[in-house]
Amino acid sequence: MQKRVVYRSKLLPYLLVAPQIAITLIFFFWPSYQALESSFYVEDAFGFSRNWVGMQNYAELFADPGYLRSFRTTLIFSVSVAALTMSISLGLAVAANRVIRAATAYRTLLIWPYAVAPALAGVIWYFLMNPSLGIVAYWLKALGVNWNHYVNGDQALLLVIVAAAWKQISYNFLFFLAGLQSIPKSLIEAAAIDRASPARRFWTIVFPLLTPTTFFLLVINLVYAFFDTFALIHATTEGGPVDATSILVYRVYSTGFVGQDYGSSAAQSVVLMALVVGMTFIQFRYIERKVNY
Amino acid sequence: MANLSIRSLGKTYPGGVSAVRDVDIKIQDGEFIVLVGPSGCGKSTILRMIAGLETITTGDLDIDGRRVNDLEPGDRDIAMVFQNYALYPHMTVRANMEYGLKNEGLPKDEIAERIAEASRTLRLSDYLDRKPRQLSGGQRQRVAMGRAIVRKPKVFLFDEPLSNLDAKLRTQLRAELKALHARLNGTFIYVTHDQVEAMSLADRIVIMSEGKIEQIGTPMDLYLRPATRFVAEFIGTPAMNFIDATVGSDGHSLQIGEQMIAADAPIHAPAGTLVSVGVRPEHLHRGQDHAMHVKLKTGFVEQLGADTIVHGEASTNGTASPLGVRLQGVHMPEPGSELQLGAALSDLHFFDTASGQRLNT
Repeated sequence: MQKRVVYRSKLLPYLLVAPQIAITLIFFFWPSYQALESSFYVEDAFGFSRNWVGMQNYAELFADPGYLRSFRTTLIFSVSVAALTMSISLGLAVAANRVIRAATAYRTLLIWPYAVAPALAGVIWYFLMNPSLGIVAYWLKALGVNWNHYVNGDQALLLVIVAAAWKQISYNFLFFLAGLQSIPKSLIEAAAIDRASPARRFWTIVFPLLTPTTFFLLVINLVYAFFDTFALIHATTEGGPVDATSILVYRVYSTGFVGQDYGSSAAQSVVLMALVVGMTFIQFRYIERKVNY
Repeated sequence: MANLSIRSLGKTYPGGVSAVRDVDIKIQDGEFIVLVGPSGCGKSTILRMIAGLETITTGDLDIDGRRVNDLEPGDRDIAMVFQNYALYPHMTVRANMEYGLKNEGLPKDEIAERIAEASRTLRLSDYLDRKPRQLSGGQRQRVAMGRAIVRKPKVFLFDEPLSNLDAKLRTQLRAELKALHARLNGTFIYVTHDQVEAMSLADRIVIMSEGKIEQIGTPMDLYLRPATRFVAEFIGTPAMNFIDATVGSDGHSLQIGEQMIAADAPIHAPAGTLVSVGVRPEHLHRGQDHAMHVKLKTGFVEQLGADTIVHGEASTNGTASPLGVRLQGVHMPEPGSELQLGAALSDLHFFDTASGQRLNT
């Protein structure tokens, strides 16, 4: 039997949930509806008039090679960010889990980057990699790599990937560490008695047991790469050079606020919304079942 | 199949906490040894040192004459059953048992054969494709045992394997474990805090307290001739009763309150030494015609059917001390009433109150 709280007044429970409902309605449903509505119109840049065009915005979008390139960029960007972040933070978590002395100090230091705002994280890396005054660019030059993300699109993409991943490592690290600490020590000991080498112990026991954590972080990281990296890109490459770092969310901004094509921008945000809803649904619905043991 | 030699083994943790001191045990091939003691006595530490999960601070550990102090757990040819079973939760029962064999690089048909044999022995054949979480506690415990026996190790180590199970299952698995030992004829080292488990399973019991061995012996050695007061109290339920006494001036008798008992053998202590006289609840009988007698003021009564356990206070000998008696059959003493009890001289244990050492040989 589920325990239920019984209110004497019928109105009170509704009153209690009203603020939450109001916030969701005003800040989520209303703008979403606005976006959906404007995606069916073509509007002039000053908002004086608009014409119903049906699916034309969408049709033009998918005929635009630039938009399709943004899809590809987003895919490369988000997968790289997730892979880079997760592999590095897992490595750090495994190392930190072995540290016995001053463990808290290590952990605190590793968690700090999370307090850095995305835009700032981008700027830090932007300066480090700056072709004329960045220290990393200078080192790269010494190694014979000609680094210039102002002109080289691939290098610009790499820069934002590294910066975005670096920013997210702390968060991933925390979860991986918690995941590692929840694995009973006796399992590792049993595997040691079963003649498994340390590497084999990790890949056959520890890593499979971390799958729920890994899966959760994968979803979080992809959503992060899709949306939360806007500020970072805006502060560093501004989507350029040319279009090289224009991920979908950045394109929504540049089309709408720079290009002032509100209809297309709205259509793009609807596509993005559908994409994320679909992605989350697929991930939680189908993949989670497999990782649950 | 192996014998073990443990010589002056010690464990000190960083920070100076000494968990185990000067432990010497010689274990014969095929012996069932139970390490027993209260929690924190170092029994699990010894087991983990044998397994290689804890480093050995001092002393030597030999398996079959070979010093294994510095070998990795996997190279010691041992298998261990953990208290929480430590089954790999993401693997099936079959995969759990195969894991160690695959790491050893055994051929496939050999692995299949060993698993078939072990699962037949442990009645697990129907569960091979299940995950551990789909099994009951008893079944999980059997899988853990299966994982140990397929390895065919020299020594089997058990770390309180039955303590997570309910009482009925524990009794059942105890019998299975004893049968398994008889069939495999392996060397078993078993850690428990439950003295009943120790008594019913062991060929020899090693009883420990505060990192040191109190006594090593067969269950009946420990029951009949406990070497220290600690052993006497730990073995047997309800626990042994103790009554204060002093050694008489002739060195042959004990003064218990107003009562004088002549011991049947010399007492190895000077006159006037404070002595704790131990007598087990089951060795006290009703009536007057006993070498030592005591009156019990009835308090709490446990009616168990086959036995009646009467708790109360020994009242007549000048000193009031708690006393329990196990009477056969059904008795219904009135609370507050007095029972006249006594014990035979041969059932009395004398311990030096100060050192806890046994005085009568």
